Amino acid sequence: MDLVQTVQKLISILTGVIPNYDDDFWSADTELFGAIAEFDSMAIVTIIGEIEEQFDIIFDDDDISAENFTSVASLAELVLNNSR
Amino acid sequence: MININAEFFQGTQGQLFRLIRRPPCVQGHVLYLSPLFEQANQTRHVFTRSALNVYQQGLESIIFDHYGTGDSAGDLNQTSLILWQQDIVAQLIEIKKGSTQPIILSVSLSAALLLNDDMLALIDGLLLVQAEFNGNRFAQQFKRLALAAELNQPNAEKFSVKSDELAIAGYVMKKQLFEQLKQQNIEGLSPIKTPCCWLEWQVPNNELSPARAKHYQTFQGVCASIDDPCHFYAIDDVKYWQSTELELAPQYLATEQQAIKRLLTSIVAEKIC
Repeated sequence: MDLVQTVQKLISILTGVIPNYDDDFWSADTELFGAIAEFDSMAIVTIIGEIEEQFDIIFDDDDISAENFTSVASLAELVLNNSR
Repeated sequence: MININAEFFQGTQGQLFRLIRRPPCVQGHVLYLSPLFEQANQTRHVFTRSALNVYQQGLESIIFDHYGTGDSAGDLNQTSLILWQQDIVAQLIEIKKGSTQPIILSVSLSAALLLNDDMLALIDGLLLVQAEFNGNRFAQQFKRLALAAELNQPNAEKFSVKSDELAIAGYVMKKQLFEQLKQQNIEGLSPIKTPCCWLEWQVPNNELSPARAKHYQTFQGVCASIDDPCHFYAIDDVKYWQSTELELAPQYLATEQQAIKRLLTSIVAEKIC
């Protein structure tokens, strides 16, 4: 899966968890941590669980960092790094 | 008008709160097991809709709060997995004493971690909704809540807890409860002979994720009923328990009604046999 496909799949997960934004709100550049009010600890953990299930990967606890959750793009990079 | 009764009743260790919706002619009973912690809050509105649906199907529904949660007595740090299980079994015994009609146990998400053989022996049908039997994974996600909370509020005041307790995301519980939940898994159940339906969220034309597929396959392994194996329903709807907004999941609710109807048919067929 390439970066574009990963971003698309992540956006699908994000819109499921945080449904109150229009489709055009979401892109690779959309900022997450600290930028979206709904992006709280519960949302982060829910998203991590969904990513692990849908991408068949397992995150380390160290992966739960502000840097990795800065934007959709940084999250996609994290997913791709764990998929390799 | 719906006949609803809100009451406190005596549980194993204290008063428990429950809502009973009883239609004029009860053709069966559905006991809802609330999932754990945050999932309990995120599912209650859908449980209410589901209970209204089963009322229309002529079934009595019971929704209750586990000891130390919701409106029931006690605090979370006073409870244990065993205690929660005893309360569920006691309710099933109470229903069975007062009725010969079928009893269906509705088990959503992390409520599956509460299931044990004593419950399965008392019910006639089992409804599993995106069931999570993997205690280890549940515990891992729960611990991650604490890590994620630190990201959001690095300087937040820590709960002071006793040496045998732990605090995660505002929940203070006995370490023993956390460990008990962590050790739960499907393999801990004896072969299931009760008619069963499994409702699973699945995007159309997509395969289940490897983790969920494995989960379902493992469960099928403990379903011993050859004539009427666990029936699988794919749900293409919002995952209402994950959403930061209240969502109702109408397709899920409609499918659940079909599943309950199927369970009742299977139960009747089994009794005739």
